[in-house]
Amino acid sequence: MSSSPSEHITILYFAAASTTLGITSETIPIPPQAHPFYLSQLKDLLVERHTQLKGQSVGQTLRRILDTSQWSIDAEMVDDGDDEEKLGRIEVRNGMEVGVICPVSGG
Amino acid sequence: MLPPDSSIEGVLEQPGGTCSILYTLDPIESITKRITDPRFGAIATFIGTTRNSFQGKVVTKLEYQAYTKLALKTISRIVDDARTQTPDFQAIVQHRIGVVPVGEPSIVIAVSAPHRKEAFQTCEFILEEVKRKAQIWKREYYEGEDESEAEWKSNV
Repeated sequence: MSSSPSEHITILYFAAASTTLGITSETIPIPPQAHPFYLSQLKDLLVERHTQLKGQSVGQTLRRILDTSQWSIDAEMVDDGDDEEKLGRIEVRNGMEVGVICPVSGG
Repeated sequence: MLPPDSSIEGVLEQPGGTCSILYTLDPIESITKRITDPRFGAIATFIGTTRNSFQGKVVTKLEYQAYTKLALKTISRIVDDARTQTPDFQAIVQHRIGVVPVGEPSIVIAVSAPHRKEAFQTCEFILEEVKRKAQIWKREYYEGEDESEAEWKSNV
């Protein structure tokens, strides 16, 4: 079963992620050939995308940032974000708002 | 660069606890007045202010941004967690976003509770948890360095 042609997710970037990419959000298509699409696949997708758009250096910096960041989906944290197996079971679906949550520094 | 669209002002009110993300914090007197409660004999407050140096470098300004809708949920849940230790208290937590000049407050936590021990402990608990978990980020700008090089800090 393939996804409909217009399935998209919104990625929110903050702090170092937004500074590196020069953007604070983007809406990207879920790859039609990768259905269902899981959260464990999102890092590679974003790194590939921004490597193509902005070059190796930006892509590598983004990967380093994503390696130390957590995810949020629809304004809820994904717990156990280090657990690749768990991320491999979380489906990313059309319309979701996914946040890249770098290490925080409030207070 | 403009801040994220999701880094906006917001308030989340619950019985006994109000959490806000604001460009300007309310005066401390108005905050303590709002949590004054005839049942409670103690008010503890914490104000976090921005320092002018970091590891020998002069800080010229700080900038905060938040994923506001998630940060407010997180801070409210922290206030709820505090109730497992102290069921009765009132709290106001305010965090600033945007540019905060050196020497100005970035966070205020005020807690009223029956006695001083509960007020101090609850205030400290909320502060430590907010620093650990709230989806808020601080960027420090140093004298003599290009603004584009300014670092986003981490509490870890």
